[in-house]
Amino acid sequence: MKVEQIVEATLFASQTPLTADEVARADENLDAERVVEAIRTLRDAYEESERAFQIYQLGDGYQILTRPEYAPYLERFDSVPRAPHLSPAALETLAIIAYRNPIGRIEIEEVRGVSASSVLRTLLDWELVEVVGRGEGLGRPLLYGVTRMFLEHFGLKDLSDLPAPDELPVVLGELQQAMEAELESAEGLELESSDGPDPESSEDPETPAAQEEAEEEAT
Amino acid sequence: MSPSAPARDASTRSIEPFQVSLERFEGPLDLLLHLIRSQDIDIFDIPIARITEQFVRALEDELETMPIERAGEFLEMAATLVRIKAQLLLPRPEQPDWEEDPRAELVRRLLEYEHFQDVVHVLEGAEAQRGRHFAKGYVEGRPVPALAPVELQLTLADFLSVAARIPEPAPPVAIRPPSQTVTVDEKVSLLRRLLAKTKRVSFDRLFRPWGTRAHAVAALLAALELARQQALRIEQVKPFASIWLLPGDRKRAQATAAAAETAEEIE
Repeated sequence: MKVEQIVEATLFASQTPLTADEVARADENLDAERVVEAIRTLRDAYEESERAFQIYQLGDGYQILTRPEYAPYLERFDSVPRAPHLSPAALETLAIIAYRNPIGRIEIEEVRGVSASSVLRTLLDWELVEVVGRGEGLGRPLLYGVTRMFLEHFGLKDLSDLPAPDELPVVLGELQQAMEAELESAEGLELESSDGPDPESSEDPETPAAQEEAEEEAT
Repeated sequence: MSPSAPARDASTRSIEPFQVSLERFEGPLDLLLHLIRSQDIDIFDIPIARITEQFVRALEDELETMPIERAGEFLEMAATLVRIKAQLLLPRPEQPDWEEDPRAELVRRLLEYEHFQDVVHVLEGAEAQRGRHFAKGYVEGRPVPALAPVELQLTLADFLSVAARIPEPAPPVAIRPPSQTVTVDEKVSLLRRLLAKTKRVSFDRLFRPWGTRAHAVAALLAALELARQQALRIEQVKPFASIWLLPGDRKRAQATAAAAETAEEIE
């Protein structure tokens, strides 16, 4: 039995993403490294034979998903879920947490200018964010970070799939220069982009979002 | 959609800055940013007086119907704007530094908020894109055939002929309480008398003539009672075959029979 086929069978039978370690449980001779290698081989094979599906990485897990160009056909079936949509408040809060990870509720509210407690509760319920620790400040506030579910929901491999802060239209770095003096006097404004996602990311395997980008560039 | 789509597309909110429905806005920063961007105002040189006036006017109509917490958030911003306006009226040094501009903190917050709106657009794009990938198991297997509308082709005669085939409902069974009570003892003495006359007695014979459930129960209990006393043996060749009752140990049977006789006499 070839390693690729064992990995393929395992991913095929799963309805949720599986990490390389989880896939490796299928056979004693497997380890995470071999699984990743097999996935790479499978991806190339699917690509070459123009399969309607591909293995995508979502968070640290792998899952066989259909390619986006077949969505219009699948959407004709009532049982296929429509594209999910989070509310603007939820997206706004997630955006802040993803880039300022870990961050407390007060800091989130400072950025949004509105209360964040109810939306945080919802996001916790949906397991899109989780408590990752406690801050140093008064009352040791809870600090939040995004979860594996967040990556799965947005089809991301990791946070580095998100554009780095200085790649966005509104670049806080320029503002930073403009207001250097103010920033120096007011500590803890944390406008540094070092906490944000790392722009460097490996090419393979692609995540759905990253791939779409590549496709759009190609057309 | 491309993740790098411009975040501030004023046309997505095709409304005049002076006629603003607050429902569309996440909060005061969102509203303020809209007022500034939709009028092409330089964010580093906000005309505070004009913006404050527009902001307060947008607030006026809806403040009372707003949830108190949300109203507070907008009012706080209104207060901040008024404070900045007041500070700008104070005499300033000849060469004002940017950090001394009372608007600086507000501008920083606005730009930071706008920055995260960019991230929101990235996430929206990623979410939409992820929604176009499907995992196994979403297409329903073996769909239930849709029930096509059936055209009615029956005539009344057809219907009646079918209806006629439906058996008449059986008349309700009148449940009467048994007019006579029956005791186990009665059955015991009956059984003894029968056993005295014949070699074997059909169990049916003990209750059939009466046909009620009470007699059957009494007969069964009587047979079991006598079997317990070893006055009779119960035989059945196979399940559901006839049950036969045969005399048991004669001596003991006679002894108990005598006792039964006296009991019968007392009755």
